[in-house]
Amino acid sequence: MTTDGWLRQLWLRPAGRVGVILLVVMSLTAAIGPAFLPDPLAQPDLAQGGLRPPDQIHLLGTDYHSRDVMARVVTGARVSLAVAFGAVLLSITLGGMVGLAAGYLGSWIDAALMRLVDAALAIPRLFLLLIMVASMERIPLWLLIVAIGATGWFGTSRLVRAEVRRLRAMDFVRSAEALGATRRRILARHLLPNVLGPLTVATTLAVGDVILLEAGLSFLGLGVQPPTPSWGGMIMENKSFLVTAPWTSLAPGLAIVIAVVAVNLIGESLHQDPAPPLS
Amino acid sequence: MIRWLAGRLLQTLATYALAVTLLFIMMRLTPGDPLAGLSDERPLPAEARELLRRRYRLDQPVLTQYADFLAGALRGDLGVSIAQHGRPVTALIRERLPATLLLGTTALAAMFGIGIAVGVLQATRAGSVTDRVLGILSLTAYATPSFWLGLVLTWALAIEWHWFPVAFMHAPLLDPDAGWWVRLTDLLWHLVLPVTTLTLVSFGAVARYQRAAMLEALGLGAIRTARTKGLRDRSILWHHAWRNSVGPMLALFGLWLPLVVAGSVFVESVYAWPGLGTLAAESIGSRDYPVIMGVAILVSAVVIGGNLLADLLHGWLDPRLRPSQ
Amino acid sequence: MTRPLLGLALWGSLLIPRAALGQASVLPGTLVIAVAREAISPVPTLWASDHPSQEVSDLLFLHLADLGPTLSTTDESSFVPRLARRWTRRDPQTLIFELDPRAQWQDGVPVTARDVVFALERARNPNLSPQLAALLGRIDRVTARDNHRVEIHYRLAYAEQLYDAVFHAPPLPAHLLTGVAPESLATAPFRSRPVGNGPYSITRWEPGKILELTANPAFFLGKPGIHRVVFLPSPDPETRVNLMLAGEVDAVENLYSLPNWHRVEALPAFHYYPVPGLGVVYSVFNQRDPADTSRPHPIFTDPVVRQALVQLLDREVLSRAAYGNLTEVPDAPVSAVLGRAITLPPHLAVDTSLSRRHLAASGWLDHDEDGVLDKNGRPLAFALMVPSVSASRMAMAATMQEAWRRAGVRVQVEPVEPPVYVERRNAGRFDLDLYSVIQDPTPSGLAQSWSCAGIGGSNAGYFCDPVVDTLLAQAGRSLTASHRLYQDAVRRLAEDVPAIFLAAPVNSVPVHRRFANVVLRPESFWAAVWQWRILPGAELERDRR
Repeated sequence: MTTDGWLRQLWLRPAGRVGVILLVVMSLTAAIGPAFLPDPLAQPDLAQGGLRPPDQIHLLGTDYHSRDVMARVVTGARVSLAVAFGAVLLSITLGGMVGLAAGYLGSWIDAALMRLVDAALAIPRLFLLLIMVASMERIPLWLLIVAIGATGWFGTSRLVRAEVRRLRAMDFVRSAEALGATRRRILARHLLPNVLGPLTVATTLAVGDVILLEAGLSFLGLGVQPPTPSWGGMIMENKSFLVTAPWTSLAPGLAIVIAVVAVNLIGESLHQDPAPPLS
Repeated sequence: MIRWLAGRLLQTLATYALAVTLLFIMMRLTPGDPLAGLSDERPLPAEARELLRRRYRLDQPVLTQYADFLAGALRGDLGVSIAQHGRPVTALIRERLPATLLLGTTALAAMFGIGIAVGVLQATRAGSVTDRVLGILSLTAYATPSFWLGLVLTWALAIEWHWFPVAFMHAPLLDPDAGWWVRLTDLLWHLVLPVTTLTLVSFGAVARYQRAAMLEALGLGAIRTARTKGLRDRSILWHHAWRNSVGPMLALFGLWLPLVVAGSVFVESVYAWPGLGTLAAESIGSRDYPVIMGVAILVSAVVIGGNLLADLLHGWLDPRLRPSQ
Repeated sequence: MTRPLLGLALWGSLLIPRAALGQASVLPGTLVIAVAREAISPVPTLWASDHPSQEVSDLLFLHLADLGPTLSTTDESSFVPRLARRWTRRDPQTLIFELDPRAQWQDGVPVTARDVVFALERARNPNLSPQLAALLGRIDRVTARDNHRVEIHYRLAYAEQLYDAVFHAPPLPAHLLTGVAPESLATAPFRSRPVGNGPYSITRWEPGKILELTANPAFFLGKPGIHRVVFLPSPDPETRVNLMLAGEVDAVENLYSLPNWHRVEALPAFHYYPVPGLGVVYSVFNQRDPADTSRPHPIFTDPVVRQALVQLLDREVLSRAAYGNLTEVPDAPVSAVLGRAITLPPHLAVDTSLSRRHLAASGWLDHDEDGVLDKNGRPLAFALMVPSVSASRMAMAATMQEAWRRAGVRVQVEPVEPPVYVERRNAGRFDLDLYSVIQDPTPSGLAQSWSCAGIGGSNAGYFCDPVVDTLLAQAGRSLTASHRLYQDAVRRLAEDVPAIFLAAPVNSVPVHRRFANVVLRPESFWAAVWQWRILPGAELERDRR
């Protein structure tokens, strides 16, 4: 399939179109929105107290430090989307490649790769992240993305491997092998398109996971460094106002949900089985 | 087959040894002072630090400490906690494990039960409104932070409507000598909110994978053949299609199995559930090396064992994958 | 002005005639307390401090005497007798304590002079507890004169002799603990079922779930008015708020953030008791270069810069937003409790324009017009290291960062995990930190963190002023002028602006309104629970069992 082909396919399906529009609007808002909004760091009326409900000045209200929630959500999209897509792309690629290799090549390669993955899964992810970022006193964004991505693929690789093992036993792969197709051809033509299912699911779920993981990391001081806003960080710092000032965490929470749903819509339109449905 | 099994078991043991060693090394490479929490926000003088380092053998070379740990672990002695003033690690784990086991198994059963049902339902109606709505609902639930959902559920169901207790595993003032029936219902009562929270935030993953795997399976020739043979839909669904999708689901199950012993830190914390998850998080947060290792060797065993189990079950359910062929 | 009033409010309840309330209380009564952390070892271990353990331990083990309402550590007449019935001064270096003959351990064995000697000997053994041994260094020897009289001989005459003898090491049952090595106390059965001499004993302890204390009916100072005290560990502050809202607890130890407090302050079932805290929160300027601690810090060695950085902050707003409206803003390392004994130096109020002028006079101007002040090509930029898990300090850091940013000071907030925070602080690898420390109610502990000798130990900022050292040393040796000398030392220290002193929190502790005679002690909130009563007619279901 050419690039042009899958882009067209995406756009032709309503779900795909909605997903693309959502993501484009989000990215554009993140890119140019902050120019039209108040300073996301400014704490204009700290003495009078923050946590003001939405009004005409602050469309989504203010947080505890009297910072504009809307400005923070929009600015936070930059970091959160960058972390989410960067890290997920990395982990899905790694997980997909390792899973394909292990599942298809089998024998000792499978054993070695999967035992390594087992060992890696057995170590708390927190340690792996700590080791990767702790040597730095200030954590740059790219390092955060690499660290999250490089520690997030172990599970995906096991799922992809399970799927590949299932497919390998199927008639169409066996007949391709019998017909003398090369390994590369079988991997690219027969297996890769078919593991896109679990990979798509892994991608959608991982987008939400990663944004929330960043929240957990910022709780430990290992995430996006303050005062730069991020969606996960906002949810974390506003968790005690959930009942008294729900707007402070609902806004970033909804942003995460919209991003996840958009990715899901795109993923499903892309991977929808080209074969006609049953009956 | 036996040879393959033996080999696989040997591999698993080697992996376990590797994981434990890596864990020890990584733990010690992580910056942070394990004595930091001992002074309780009071200054700790240098002499006191020296004394405590000697008491917990932190002054020994790391290799010696590793050897001590291994020798102790083989005897069933996991050393003593630093943060808990020298209490034995095994005692700490014994105190906390039952609560986590209970919550973890219940939640795991619920999330896989509901997840599989939702996924299969969605797959059979792929593209319909039901599919779309269920998909968005499960994704939304999945993208919700667990502590957040926990706080909302508590606020609505425990504080506003008084349906369930706010926190804890038992009613604290319940007479410990009350009848077993009273204690059991009390326990179940307290279990509802934490299990619901864990299930809601995680069943989405199961449903998504199940739907994808099922759609894949429904598109296969075997199913079409079965259909043309006139087999009933329900039988096709479960005996052919679902069974074909079970591999990835088992892999997923293997990945989630650690929940049973590792627990969920946020859920345990929000509901003051006395589990291992909070202990594990606290021990990492305070660099309490012996407790970290104690919990970690338990969790690693379940992770590695869970993946072995998933592989074996997969082979058993899907004979084509058996290595003898 | 607020301080004496607070003291009155706090201790005024003691004036309610006890008989009027005591006789009416015939019901058992239950006090349920939600605490952040469970006790580890409710026995005075002497070598590691743990606040939750101490709070339970204070209900099981009495001290020889308690601090009185003024919390003075030097006024001997203000101390309240507990295990010791009275004390007499034989000479300026010797105190003799006479134990209350009614006092006995809960196994029926009388409390004797041997128990006092036993506990103090352990506390003074530097191989067991270097920390306490250092604090008790002025005690020369402790001897039992007979079964009920203990003689403590001091190396010198000084003002806090009585305080040293009674505050740190409560007597322990020598007949039960002689054979137990202190470091194996953690595994001894005594840890979970200690035998004390106080108003309560542990009757049920399910780790992680519940710690239940039951009144000791034979308590020699009077039968406790509350029959049961239940501690429920609930680590999440939001959970503690929820428990209050659901009416499942009677008191909460720490609500942490001000927003949590706002959620419960209107609850009619609770009364809020102000309790001055022992904590003080401040940012230490590291006066050495974090990259090489043998060199001076490139920015913070200039006191003009330090003072300007302080006066760019509105510390009242900052601290009250984080710790509540009652919080005091000191100008010295002085907790709310200590603040009663020491008159603080004049307050450095927020003054942005003055600070800018001072910075400019010191050479810090925005020469390159990038929005950040600079001098000789070096920007006025530094890092503020904060323990990431402390919500209140993280909130303060965000506000400080913003206030400085507006003035052209670029600050990087560095949130780090607590063990890393302590490690880096001890090694001097930071510019500015955000420290929270618990002080004893005496100023004598100041020497640890603010003397030249403390460098390499808890004096993380390398503050060193021989005059302060001399004053602190003189205060420790003085019999009559100790407070004035401490005050001089603190004032001298404050003039140098070695830190940004941010908050001396005053806790507001919610307690259910059905309790009367409520006294919350600053050094151990619940230690006086045995004197509480339940108002007749206000009992709840849980009081009746």
